[in-house]
This record gives sequence, C-alpha cells and structure tokens, in this order.
Amino acid sequence: MDFCQKQVKSDCEELLGRFQTTDSVRFEIFSKIWREMNFTQIFYGTVNHERRAFSRLILDTAYSFFLPPFSFQIRVGGLYLLYSLYHCQRASPPEQIRLALKNWEDVKKFEKDAVDAQHLDVIYILRQLMLRKAFNFTAMPTVLAFNKKRKMERAALCEAFMERASRPQELINIELLEELSNVDDHYGKLKTSIGLQADPSINLIRKELVPELRSTVVDFYKWQQRKGGAGGHEDEDSGEGTSSQQECSKRAQLISSIKSKAYGEAAEASKSRRHRQVEVDFTSYEAGPSLSSGYSRTNKPSLKARTNENVHVSGDLWEEATRTTHINRLTTLDFVPEEKPKTYKRFKW
Amino acid sequence: MAASKPSTDPNTNIPEYEYTDVNTHIFHIGSFRNEWLNRLKPSNYSYQQEDEDTFDANFAKEMGISAETMTDLKSICSLDSLCCHPEDEQPDTEVVPPDSTLRTLVQRKKKQDHRASLKISKNRHDLYADELERLTVGRKPEAVTDMVPEGEVILTINVYYPAVYEKFIYSRPHITLLMTGSHSLAELRDAICCVSDLQVCGEFSNTPDIAPDFISKDHYKSAFFFFEGVFYNDMRYPECQDISMTTIEWAKAHKFPPYSQAKMEDTRFMDLKVKVGFPYLYCHQGDCEHLVIITDVRLSHKVDCLDKKLYPLLTHKHRVITQKCAVCHVFIGRWFTTNDQFAPSDPCLFCDKCFRMLHYDAQGNKLGDFLAYPFVDPGAFN
Repeated sequence: MDFCQKQVKSDCEELLGRFQTTDSVRFEIFSKIWREMNFTQIFYGTVNHERRAFSRLILDTAYSFFLPPFSFQIRVGGLYLLYSLYHCQRASPPEQIRLALKNWEDVKKFEKDAVDAQHLDVIYILRQLMLRKAFNFTAMPTVLAFNKKRKMERAALCEAFMERASRPQELINIELLEELSNVDDHYGKLKTSIGLQADPSINLIRKELVPELRSTVVDFYKWQQRKGGAGGHEDEDSGEGTSSQQECSKRAQLISSIKSKAYGEAAEASKSRRHRQVEVDFTSYEAGPSLSSGYSRTNKPSLKARTNENVHVSGDLWEEATRTTHINRLTTLDFVPEEKPKTYKRFKW
Repeated sequence: MAASKPSTDPNTNIPEYEYTDVNTHIFHIGSFRNEWLNRLKPSNYSYQQEDEDTFDANFAKEMGISAETMTDLKSICSLDSLCCHPEDEQPDTEVVPPDSTLRTLVQRKKKQDHRASLKISKNRHDLYADELERLTVGRKPEAVTDMVPEGEVILTINVYYPAVYEKFIYSRPHITLLMTGSHSLAELRDAICCVSDLQVCGEFSNTPDIAPDFISKDHYKSAFFFFEGVFYNDMRYPECQDISMTTIEWAKAHKFPPYSQAKMEDTRFMDLKVKVGFPYLYCHQGDCEHLVIITDVRLSHKVDCLDKKLYPLLTHKHRVITQKCAVCHVFIGRWFTTNDQFAPSDPCLFCDKCFRMLHYDAQGNKLGDFLAYPFVDPGAFN
C-alpha cells in the first residue's frame, strides 16, 4: 500500500488547504468542501483485503494532521477528516484510528481548548468518535517493522498549516517592559544614591536594556511577517482563530498594542536597528537553502558493484559463478534447453 | 517536540521514538498498559457501546445547550452531509470513478486498467489473504469465559523466515501473529511453524514408512528467544538444554556486556521490557534463526478477535513457491533420491506416491539401488 502514500497525503492536504482558506472551524464548511471534492470516492475501487490496508493508510495519514505542530484550525480539520474517513471507509468491521499514548495529552488539551471556546461541533464529533469506539489505544501511531530507509526522507510537514510561534511576543509585552524599565530606573537611582557610578566594575547591566529588548522582539515579529507574507496571515483577522486567542483576548490586545507601536515607530528606526535588520535578513536567506538540502552523502557504488567492476572472470566460468543452484533444477531435465526467462509486464508507477 | 525528548525522561513507559518511524525506546509492556488504563475511563475501552440517547443527554447537559440546539448540532454533524452522490442512486463502489481529480484515484484508475489488461482475473495470494481476513477479524467467542478481557494488551508480532533465500534482500517474508499480554513466550514458540522443525535426518530407502517418526521437533526441543540482553530458554521438557550458554560464555570471554537467562515458559509478554519495531531473535534447532519484531502493542478493541482460544492468531502469512515432483509435476516433493537408476537426474525429487510406485513393488519391497532422504519443502506450511 506504500505506493499511494504520497497521493493520499497530497489529497488530504488539498482538502485541508481549502478548509484553511475559509478561516472556519465549522463542520458544515468542512462537509461542503468534502462534497465538492467527492472525497468519499477515495475509497472506491479498492477490493477485498486491499480495503483494510487502504483504510489503515489513509487514517494514519489523516491522524498526523490532528496533532501539533499544526494550528488549531488544521487540527480541527484533521479531526473532521478522521471522522469522515472513519465512517465512509468500506472495510467492515471498520479499521480504527490509532491513538498513541504519547499523543493522549495533546488530544486532551485540544478537547479542553475546544470546550473553552465553545466549539460545539468539534467537541461533539470528538466525543462521538470516542462513543463509537473509533480509537485503538496504541503504543505508537503506526505499526513499526524496523523499516530503515537508506535515504531519510525529510518529513515534509506542510508549513502553511503550522501555527506561527508567538511566544516571544507574548512573553515580552508592554507591562513587562514597563516593569523592567522601572526596575532599571530604580536600580540606577540606587546606585547613584550610594555614589558608586564612577566605579566601572559595577556596571553589570547593559545600558538601554529595555529599548533593545523591545526592538529585538519587533524585529523578530517583522521577520516572521515577511517570511509568512505570501501565505497570508490566518491567525489574526479570522473570526474564529485559535482558541487560546479567544480565551484570553487580553493577551491578544497586548500583542496587538506591541504591533501597533512597532509600526508607529518604524520610521524612526535607529542606526543600530537598521544594522540588526540586515543581520536578520541575512540569516533568513542563509537558513533556507541549507535546511532544504540537508546533508548530502557521497554516493559510492555498493561493494558488490565495485567487485563486479574490478574482478574480471572470462567466459563461461563467470556465468557459472554468478548463478546459484536452485533446488527447482532438480526437477528439470539436464538436456532440456534452458527456457528463456519469462518477461512479465510490470506496472510503472 | 515530542520526538526529540531525551531518553532520560523519568516516565519511560510512555513509548517514544528512538528513531522516527523505525523503532521506539525500551518500555515495560505491563506498565504501558497501566498508563493507558489510568488515563481512560472504563467506558472508553469497554466492548459495550454507550446508549446514544444517554450520550446526547449528557452532552447537552455538560455543554449547557437546549434540546433544540442539540438537534441542530446532530443534523449538522450527521454523516448524510458527507454523502457525495444523489440519494436515489447507489454508485458502484468496486469501480474507480473515471473523472476524479483526487490524485489517489487517478493513480488507482491507472492501476486498475493495467490489471485488466493483464488478463489475470484473480491473484491466488489475494484469495488467501481474503480468506485469512475472514477467519480472523471480529470473531466472537461462544462462551463468555473465553472472552479476551477488556483492557487486555494485544501484541502484533512478525516472525521472519530465516534469511537463507537469496530473495530475502528484496522482500522480507514473514508470518504475523496476534498475542495477548498474558501469553507466555512458550506459547509464541509453539505458534511458530518452521520447516526445520519437520526435517528428518537420515537415509530411509529401506524403511520409508517409519521416516515420519523421526522429525527434528521431537528430537531437539531446545530453543530460545533473545530480547534486550536476556535469553529466554525453553526448559519445559527434561531433554531441553540451555543452548544460549555457548553465546553467553563466548560473550563473557570476549568482554562483552553480560547477558542473562530466563525461562521462556515463565515469562509473559506483560513482564517484558522491549522496544517496539526492534528486531529480536528466535533460534531453534541449533541454528535456525528467525528475526522477531513486535510491531504493535495496543489495548484490545471490540472488533478484535475476542475468542481467547483462537490466540495466538495468525493474520498474515507469506506463501513460498513449492517444488513439485519430477514425475507428476502436481504434488509437492517429499523424497529426495541420489544414485538412483530410475531417476532422470541426480539428485531427484519425488512426491510420496510417485516415489513408492517407482521404487517399490506391490508388497513394499525395495527395487534397485538408490539412497532416499525425506524432503520437507519450505512451502509445506502454505
């Protein structure tokens, strides 16, 4: 069944991509896209035991979208996809969704987020799947048989589905900056009051710590914007974005206030900041190609190939040596001319 | 990132990848089961399904929504909304729709067309696989006492054929067995069919009838499994020997980390500490070595085969090409002769019937001069 893995994945991504552009987490919207794409048909044409194997494959594929690091919206899409695939599959009794122990916390967190944001359809569908025993509680999300790959395929996660990191902005907010500058002020005053500022050995704190910290965060945010600019910003102006945003709009306001401040002061960027800007740019360019190429291995031919090349045995002797004696030769007569090896029509993918 | 967590994680019984998509870190199967059971409500892994109406009522109550909203919600989330064809016509689900834009279907269409052009209606291996599936999926026991208990662990174990065939580099023929956590390793051993257990050593041209009495299984009963530095020896019978001793002593002499021993029959899967997806060893008949991989560990589910008596349950078997008799070309070879004046080649393979007709008279007396050895085909278990 491995042959169609890529196709299945790209079909799922197509569906979820369309779902993402709607900026919605409603099941109605999802099922509309599902119908538009005739996604039920994906199970058509599988026969007998192939059905089960195909169900297994597509459920495993869809399961990966249900987990972090994808954004809340994509995870909801992943859940809907699992629900729909589970009920539309043609294997009977149905193949289960494999839920790994290490992902249990993620699922619980997801459920809590959905409850907090009152996404009724999300919770209902998740509970329905539980009720119908659609989950297999497993050790690992897939069956493992030590399939080492010679070439490690980089797990190509669809980046557009990922949630952008917003921790730095959340952590370093206006309040913290104010607090920090107050402390800094106080500290400075304290130092002057005991008359020590002449001594360079106690200049342990950097000057202008607060502005620098802020400008760094602003730079980071801008760099992020530029990087994801093409993909559009899904998590800001959507009515029903991530639940964490809804659940604490206060924090969101803080973030946006930082943003607006950043834009307001962009014109008067200091020299040092311009310099930093360039630096950020530089890394973003550098990081791109070096990541995608990964490490490259010099492709040496195998030992067998090298031996074949170097060792020359003439004529029949070589023919004899390369062939092994099969037990089925025992039942063929010696004088029967060797049959021409049958050629089978092979299917090219 | 979950995958990059260090192995020093205090809670090691939550399986994590050691190498992504290859194998996991070592964990204890019994504790793994407990981890799951602690997290789940009994209703989650019970075989009984909760009543739909109770579910709806509870849901509405918990979310604080009215009956009306609940009805709306149910209709929005109903499965009818996923239906991709008009209600009055039922599509042919055996046929790949010709005009689909889904890439999976474009590919499947191509494959189906190719298969149709081959003029082979049905692959024999597909037939076997279909039949095996019918025999294993969702079997319910007749007696309640034979029921696999709720929350039991089910392991999927691949046992690979010995790597003696040339083709082994291209495919990895194996059998797949399902076992429960309360099974012992000895039960796994008994479930593994291998032709080297059936081999008969010796020459039997004078007494062909007594040959079946000398199969290796009854003579050499020792065997061991090797999991995570421990040799689990089969010691059920008085004639069993600890055949792992040679390896252990050799390892000691060469300053390898020490290995320990345990008894196969006293070890249940629940007590094992293993890596899922990691190759281990089963060795019997002295040197017949099989790789053993535990590919999956999970809690039992209501659609599993729930009849305890059917475990260890075979769910997949690789079928090997069999060697046919040189005379009739119909039956599988059973005898292997040398120095045989009747045979077209030396050595030569015969099925039991042809062998006796050609080499013995009606009273069973040996005719002519030849040496005959019993032969067990690798495909004997097909």
